[in-house]
Amino acid sequence: MWKRLLLIRGAELLMFAVLAAIPVAVQNSYALGLLTLLAIYGILLIGLDVTVGYLGQVNLAQAAFLGLGAYTAALCVTKLGSLMLVATLAAIVVCTILGALLALPSLRLEGPQFALATLSFTALTVIVLNELEWLTGGAQGLSLTRPPILGHALTAREFYWLCVALLALVWVAMRNLLASQWGRAFEALRDSPIATDAMGVGTYRHKVAAFALGSALGGLAGALYAFNFQYLQPQAFTYELTVILLLGVVLGGRKSLWGAFVGASLVALLPNLLSNRLLFEVISAAGFALALFAGIRGLFRKTLGPFQAIAPIVATGVLVFGGLLVSNTEDWRKAIFSLMLFSVVVGLPEGLMGFASKFLSRLFRIPEAPRPAPSPLDRALPARSVGKGGPMLELRDLKRYFGGVKAVDGVTTTVRAGEIHGLIGPNGSGKSTLVNVVSGLYTPTAGEMLLHGHPLPRGSLYKTAQDGVARTFQNLQLFTGMTAIENVMVALNGVYKRSRSLPLVLLGLGRVEEKRAEADALALLEFVGLGDQARTPAKDLTYGAQRFLEIARAIARKPEVLILDEPAAGLSHPDMHRQMELIERVHQRGVTILIIEHHMDVISELCDTVTVLDGGKLIAEGSPDEVKRHPKVVEAYLGEVDVGEKPAAPAAR
Amino acid sequence: MTLSIFAQLVVSGALIGLVYALIAYGFQLTFATSKSINFGQGELVMVSAFFSLTLITVGLPYWLVIPCGLLFGAALGLFVERAAVRLALQQKSEGWILLTIILGLFFFSLAENIWGRDDRPFPTPISQTAIQILGVDVTPVELSVAVGVFAIMGLIEVFKRQTLVGKAFEAVSADPDAGELMGISATHTVMLSYALSGIVAALAGILVSPITTVGPTMASALILKAFSVAVVAGLESGFGVVIVGMFLGALEGVASFALGSGWREVPGLILLILALAVRPTGIFGKAIIRKV
Amino acid sequence: MVRRFVPLLLSLVALPTFAADTLKLAITGPFTGGSAPMGASMRDGARLAISEINNAGGVQVGASKMKIEVIERDDEAKNERGALIAQEMASMPGLSGVIGSVNTGVVLAGDRHLQEKGITKIITPAAGSASMTQWVGKAPELSIFRFAAHDGIQAAMVVEEAIKRKFTKVAIFHDATNYGVSGRDDLQREIKKQGDKLQVVATEKFNIGDKDMTAQLLRAKSGGAEAILIWAIGPELAAVANGKTKMGLTAPLIGGWTLSMSNFIDNAGKNGNGALMPQTFIEEPITPKAKAFIDAYHKAYGVNRIPSAVSAAQGYDAVYIFAAAVKQAGSADTHKIKGALEDLKEPVQGVIATWKHPYAKWDNKDVETHEAFRRDHCVMGMVQDGKVVFAHDEDKQRLAALAKGP
Repeated sequence: MWKRLLLIRGAELLMFAVLAAIPVAVQNSYALGLLTLLAIYGILLIGLDVTVGYLGQVNLAQAAFLGLGAYTAALCVTKLGSLMLVATLAAIVVCTILGALLALPSLRLEGPQFALATLSFTALTVIVLNELEWLTGGAQGLSLTRPPILGHALTAREFYWLCVALLALVWVAMRNLLASQWGRAFEALRDSPIATDAMGVGTYRHKVAAFALGSALGGLAGALYAFNFQYLQPQAFTYELTVILLLGVVLGGRKSLWGAFVGASLVALLPNLLSNRLLFEVISAAGFALALFAGIRGLFRKTLGPFQAIAPIVATGVLVFGGLLVSNTEDWRKAIFSLMLFSVVVGLPEGLMGFASKFLSRLFRIPEAPRPAPSPLDRALPARSVGKGGPMLELRDLKRYFGGVKAVDGVTTTVRAGEIHGLIGPNGSGKSTLVNVVSGLYTPTAGEMLLHGHPLPRGSLYKTAQDGVARTFQNLQLFTGMTAIENVMVALNGVYKRSRSLPLVLLGLGRVEEKRAEADALALLEFVGLGDQARTPAKDLTYGAQRFLEIARAIARKPEVLILDEPAAGLSHPDMHRQMELIERVHQRGVTILIIEHHMDVISELCDTVTVLDGGKLIAEGSPDEVKRHPKVVEAYLGEVDVGEKPAAPAAR
Repeated sequence: MTLSIFAQLVVSGALIGLVYALIAYGFQLTFATSKSINFGQGELVMVSAFFSLTLITVGLPYWLVIPCGLLFGAALGLFVERAAVRLALQQKSEGWILLTIILGLFFFSLAENIWGRDDRPFPTPISQTAIQILGVDVTPVELSVAVGVFAIMGLIEVFKRQTLVGKAFEAVSADPDAGELMGISATHTVMLSYALSGIVAALAGILVSPITTVGPTMASALILKAFSVAVVAGLESGFGVVIVGMFLGALEGVASFALGSGWREVPGLILLILALAVRPTGIFGKAIIRKV
Repeated sequence: MVRRFVPLLLSLVALPTFAADTLKLAITGPFTGGSAPMGASMRDGARLAISEINNAGGVQVGASKMKIEVIERDDEAKNERGALIAQEMASMPGLSGVIGSVNTGVVLAGDRHLQEKGITKIITPAAGSASMTQWVGKAPELSIFRFAAHDGIQAAMVVEEAIKRKFTKVAIFHDATNYGVSGRDDLQREIKKQGDKLQVVATEKFNIGDKDMTAQLLRAKSGGAEAILIWAIGPELAAVANGKTKMGLTAPLIGGWTLSMSNFIDNAGKNGNGALMPQTFIEEPITPKAKAFIDAYHKAYGVNRIPSAVSAAQGYDAVYIFAAAVKQAGSADTHKIKGALEDLKEPVQGVIATWKHPYAKWDNKDVETHEAFRRDHCVMGMVQDGKVVFAHDEDKQRLAALAKGP
């Protein structure tokens, strides 16, 4: 445990020590200027990584926040005569607010539309900065002199140390944040926004928070940028810069503070790397060798497809030989950068740091963090005493239409407290739609839904989850980028009190809750039989294990009602039986269960009551036996029965 | 602002807006088959325009330059598909966003170095002297934009609706695996859509260059507007892009007069952000129903 | 090797290392981008002078001669680049001086790094007057000099020309950069100064990169403008000229010297004919020295027209003036060179003129002490069929006489 801590923290301490020491050893104001830029970009890219690495979105607005922060700080100094502290705080506040505002329209967006919204914001920012000449000086620029801090005017070297200190502070704070529930929530958002909401982790607030955080850091970097250059122009903050920043994050490695730092180094120092021909050739040759090595190894081990293996080799090859042919590498700066990025994005999707960290951890054999002991089950999933028979979930004439399609057409039923209630029907009968309406994915077209006699929230997965309804999904909605235990930890209910507060988490005060969350999650994993696969990435689990994981995640909510949407779909027989046992065990803890299933024996074994749907309408309801023999049910499944033929008893499977 | 000035601004703007619409149409083509778009499409327009300029400079007659330029555009489109899109589609990820951006950057640098960083005039045999139509000055070059845009869009739409290959577009976009099972090669269909998108981009470059000159930075000027048009109209809206494109162009023209030329892009950008906020699938697009 | 390797590793900065027996002169400017014709021509003209000097053995420094070694830096007309380049030069060991810069913003962003260390710089071919007026009242000693026509002179000439041609209504067009905005201010001031004989019917602004000038031109046209007084650079100037023709507006363009740039002339084609601008040098062989320079430039760079003749000639003459200062100082030390520049005893035979004591000791209140050009050095040029020619014949004779000297 100590060895691990020493290695990881030690590396960080060493890097900061080296950064601080350089200006003492090397007396060169040009180098100092570059290093200051490096520190500033480091902060900027760490902020960008929150949306790009953790949320997994292409964010093209970070250059705009750099500019907004810079201008805010500069205007505070020139127009209001503020000192450094106030100006910097103003920059951070302004950018946080604007970031939150930008998050509002981009909330509903994914992928390319999100990228476009952020791109438009950047374009708008540059235009506004350029046109408000009376305020910003427009294209002629804005000059300022670096203000003193706390009465002391900083030399260039002292300013550099200030930037390094701030970088270190941001580093520590972000590390705390991203290792907490917040970090998990961000990742969950990326993998499945639907499941995130359904597990009671609000997509809304976390998206806005992530964005605001990234822009706050952009604002801080912007203020430092203004104090560094002491001259600002709107044209410095355009799309071109934002693309370079984005590519820096990707190249360095997403979801990684070191990655952001490596990316920042490249962005800040790239122009210089290129003007020194020899250095450039060395680096590109090294890249080529790396691509060859990784590509061939990947081909042999069949871990990489042919394109993924060969394309980086081609790209780095072009880099090396092109570099030898052209007369001026500086002119080809963008082409060089794009070739490097292409190789990394295709061949090393984890970025340089991702690759390096795997390599280094094998080299140093960093041991895994120790696992805590699992909590007692009662803490993770307290047993409820449930009065049997009272109505838990009531649906009254519930309807959901999609245009002309009446998916759910007036269903009235009651799920009683403490029972396992089955929901069956032929394909297209509306089972999943019904359950989607209840859990809040769809808004009902008409009708009522009551939980304990109180109306359920309508059309909001998040609110319904908060009310005590948990669910699994017909098509798995796991957080594939996270490990099994992290999937469960995200969903835990009632564990995160301090961790909800951003400032407290940044200060590192959420650690105790983290340990408890891990213990609780482990207990739940053991409950479903996945205890030994806690650290396996969810995408690497077997299909059966994934189904079990979804159940573990759902019960982490400590729900009153658990909705299972075809949990046994595609399971092998042994797994199916284990799942039935699991469902029964969950039931014994006092959870009311509504289960959609096609497998008749599962229904027969588990369910107290069964509701049958066909064509959106309820056609039968009763005990499994009653329902099996019901003529309408038989007709729905097997087709019309000719008069005169005895309906054959459904074959037991 | 008098009526004649207003009319002038609207007409000139709308004609340029058709170019945005054409580029946006290129987005639609690839989105139709693969739900992906080339973020470096502006660079495609620019490189094809430069290539056509070179052909003209070496003496090729204008009417031959057009098909050659279009072929070149198709080749570039295929290159983009192979290098930047196919891998991400196979992995069912959105990595093509980043990769097409990177490719665009590469093309930009290539163009800067091969053809230089300055803007160059694009010679055209079509007359540049203005003629008066209903009190508004239009040049035949501007009119040729309209002709070109409608011609190519019309051709491609006919192709999509009347031929079997065109129908394959829809199939592959809805469900590539099912399409494969039906014997439609998803990969080939996507390739075709990117080639068509490249052709459309090349034509856009040839049409607009006589008006705006050719230069490495022409890409970024056009692309954001084309994006706006594509998103506001909806990525599946077909001719909707024409209406939105003309509207945006006219809006910019009027804005530049009324607000000052620096603010000309602002109404369009605000429109874009609003449209994204209120109706992400676009005015003419279809709403998406989430399924789990 | 190891000693060099360590700082390289630590700072990943490429510091070029020098041989100790050359005179290091940095040449900087926009060699790419919209201002490139000016920057590149200045550099090429300077290089011509430098190769002439080196071919004759080098600059006289004390007892021996030193060859000039050129360090080129492209600032791309971008201010951040300018700042970084200036920082790099300020840290460069053994640098004797800097020649260059076109864009005011770049100079405003970067020059203070040079001034801090007392590095001698001659600003040429341009950069607006603000690049010098920024030091007024601020610096007791100044190592920055300017070798270009004062913006005030240009504005005065433009207004004079408009009045001379009997125009009464004009429009002022300008770009949004420091250059354009200070040009507008200069024009407005000059109009007042010259008796308010011109009525400004429209004042229009545009950004770098704008292609469509319809709105601005429509306003000028509807105001009845008879001439457009314009302060911008190549590509946008062309856009105005082309747009103007398209809507049938015949008012001529009269403006800053940037109307002589090749990227305006080429992009505007015949729409550019008749544009008028102040020039310090016209590419016509009016004197033997001018002819020799023009021929040498054509030969060395394989062109039959200098992209920006003014820039090339100014770059050329600036190098000779710098070399004269080095010779007088007898040293490659930038501080000593500055002292010599402020008190050049020998006249320098340049292409533009014969320079007699172009600079004086820096006076905090009088920017002209570090400005070399006066009104006499400037004439009006006109664009005609792809070249710049003298607008007025009498100027031709006058310049020829000026260049001859004593």
